[in-house]
Amino acid sequence: MINTLGIVSYDDFVEIPGLTDTRPVPSISFMGRYRLIDFVLSNMTNSGISNIQIYLKNKPRSVIEHVGTGRHYNINSKSGKLRILTGEVNAQAEVYHHDVSAYMANMQYIEDAHQEYVVIAPSYMIYKFDFNEALLAHKENKADVTVLYKTVDNADTSFARIDTLTIDKPRRVVAIDKNQGKFKNRHISLSSYIMSKEVFIHLVYLAHETSSLYTLRDILKDQLPLMNVMAYPVKGYVASINTMPEYYKVSMELTDYEMAKELFNPQWPIHTRTNDSAPTQYATEADVSGSVIANHCQIAGTVKHSVIGRDVVIGKGAVIEDSVILANVEVAENAVLKHVVVDKFARIVHKNELVGTPDRIIYVKRKDVI
Amino acid sequence: MRQNNMVAMILAGGRGSRLYDLTNKVAKPAVYFGGKYRIIDFPLSNCANSGIDVVGVLTQYESVLLNSYVAKASLWGLDAKDSGIYVLPPREKIEGFGLYRGTADAITQNIDFIDYYDPETVLILSGDHIYKMDYSKMLDCHNDNKADATIAVLEVPLKEASRFGIMNTDATDRIVEFEEKPKQPKSNLASMGIYIFDWKKLRKALLDDVKNPDSNHDFGKDIIPGFLNGGLHLQAYRFKGYWKDVGTIDSLWESNMDLLYRSEELNLHDSAWKIYTEDVTVPAQFIGPKAHVSNAYINQGCVVNGTVKNSVLFTGVVVEEGAEVSDSVLMPYTVVKAGAKVQRILTDDHITIGVNQTVGQPDGEILLVAKNVKGD
Repeated sequence: MINTLGIVSYDDFVEIPGLTDTRPVPSISFMGRYRLIDFVLSNMTNSGISNIQIYLKNKPRSVIEHVGTGRHYNINSKSGKLRILTGEVNAQAEVYHHDVSAYMANMQYIEDAHQEYVVIAPSYMIYKFDFNEALLAHKENKADVTVLYKTVDNADTSFARIDTLTIDKPRRVVAIDKNQGKFKNRHISLSSYIMSKEVFIHLVYLAHETSSLYTLRDILKDQLPLMNVMAYPVKGYVASINTMPEYYKVSMELTDYEMAKELFNPQWPIHTRTNDSAPTQYATEADVSGSVIANHCQIAGTVKHSVIGRDVVIGKGAVIEDSVILANVEVAENAVLKHVVVDKFARIVHKNELVGTPDRIIYVKRKDVI
Repeated sequence: MRQNNMVAMILAGGRGSRLYDLTNKVAKPAVYFGGKYRIIDFPLSNCANSGIDVVGVLTQYESVLLNSYVAKASLWGLDAKDSGIYVLPPREKIEGFGLYRGTADAITQNIDFIDYYDPETVLILSGDHIYKMDYSKMLDCHNDNKADATIAVLEVPLKEASRFGIMNTDATDRIVEFEEKPKQPKSNLASMGIYIFDWKKLRKALLDDVKNPDSNHDFGKDIIPGFLNGGLHLQAYRFKGYWKDVGTIDSLWESNMDLLYRSEELNLHDSAWKIYTEDVTVPAQFIGPKAHVSNAYINQGCVVNGTVKNSVLFTGVVVEEGAEVSDSVLMPYTVVKAGAKVQRILTDDHITIGVNQTVGQPDGEILLVAKNVKGD
């Protein structure tokens, strides 16, 4: 166990219209059997962190149910702790609900933690990383803050509105900006930070005193000239699930097993809650290729280049292509779905054609009957 | 508080020698079944779903894996404050070390365990049958009839009845006679090896049995006939539904295939009666761009880029490009390399079928593949 408190940061600026209407970002379903938060939690517990705080804005039900006591992430139920904390801010206006106000509201639980360091990471960033590596560098560099980043060559089409870093030698962060999509090559911030608990508390108070609108990222940006803020590169697959096009694109991309292998490494398991679901049943008429399929499905139709969640029923003659179908969806016989994202418990039973385009994805709401 | 006053004891000590290499290192109840399960998941899940809180598992043959597996009581939700799964292998006692000499002796040697929970009734189960059953209904039948013992029975075709222990009953389903594998069966009610006993009466019978030098210390051969001879009330409880003793490679293969061909009877997709098992931390299944999958039962963690039909694929099976799998049961982490063709085989776990190899025949007995097959 490393001497570090894990903080799954408050998902203040990410909104994916549709997907986040009924659930917070951490519990968005992903790649058939996961929820986004599984990746950050697995990174933390695989790194030996067993004390974790999850900050949530609202609608905590699905996260509480999914993470439970944290036992399935390998958190010891006695010596470890998984806490779900909410903003609890009285302010009416949405702008006052942000990470710093949530940390302020729960400062007691941060101050009381025995750990010397904190790792702060969001659930919308998907990557595989051992925080020990960065903590070691953090100590060697005598850094105040270490920011994880990934150098990418597709910042013009991906990572919209995500922070970019300007890095000086030797990897000192000199500027933080929003990715406007103008350039291909950028250092993308994973919005994942390592710092001592002392520095973290200091920054939270400083942000709070500076402005009631200030976030941790804002105060960090202000402090760049005054503090030793270092960048640390993350190798391997990195994705940001902060818009619907990104969600769709990343889901499609990861149906390629060669790509997915970077993220799903048996040496670094991504833990999730089991649903005790049976294997998936393919009927004689089924024709499935290029897809990721969760358990407990009953498939009698054609599925190509798609992601199918748990307990999805696909009738005979139905055709699903280039689509993401979340759990418990029913697709009736002969329905045709292309470039569609179907949310949980929806039923495609009346209309037999739903065809979007790669640039215009059709989204079907949770529990909708179409 | 406990949900009822019945303790379940699962007999899981047998080797299952007709499963050959599959049970060289593990007892039969630990053998894999149905894409992600082990056989013992069925009685354990039935217990959990029937509201039984305390389950003893009697192990003997190659019990290390089985012991550590069932000890994770949380898998079946049996880790609440007043519940648990307790592994009971033979132990050293003041009078020496004694292996379990029979099914009844296994219970006799653990009378202290059952006494500790002080139940009214004890449910005796076998750890190697595939079925879904609500034991609470059987307990209701036992109590309604004020029986001393209740035996679950299955109606089998009369011509097959001579393979089973057969119960001859009166009009009220009270058992009047028990015949082990009768040549001329008088009834088609076969014992499923599932018994509910009044604990006080069973306890006395077991203590008498242990003193009898001629006894086989077996429920079917000694305890049940003893109850009948003693004039005690034995009731038959009729079970309707899927039930199979997967004792041979052929029957294990067939039972797996029943998930494809008899899914109405053996439905594991019923959310009201889930079968719980260890959930392996693997991603969902990847069905690759070159894959053709039809009539198959495939678990998470599989990576398929070849052709799969009429087959059951367990956790983490890999079927490479150009490989063909038909009418086969591939246990966890079996790898079928590029261009290999397998037909009517059942593999042990972690078996690799090499590049371009052909294994199995279009008809005849199912081939058990327990060693890697080298490729080109």
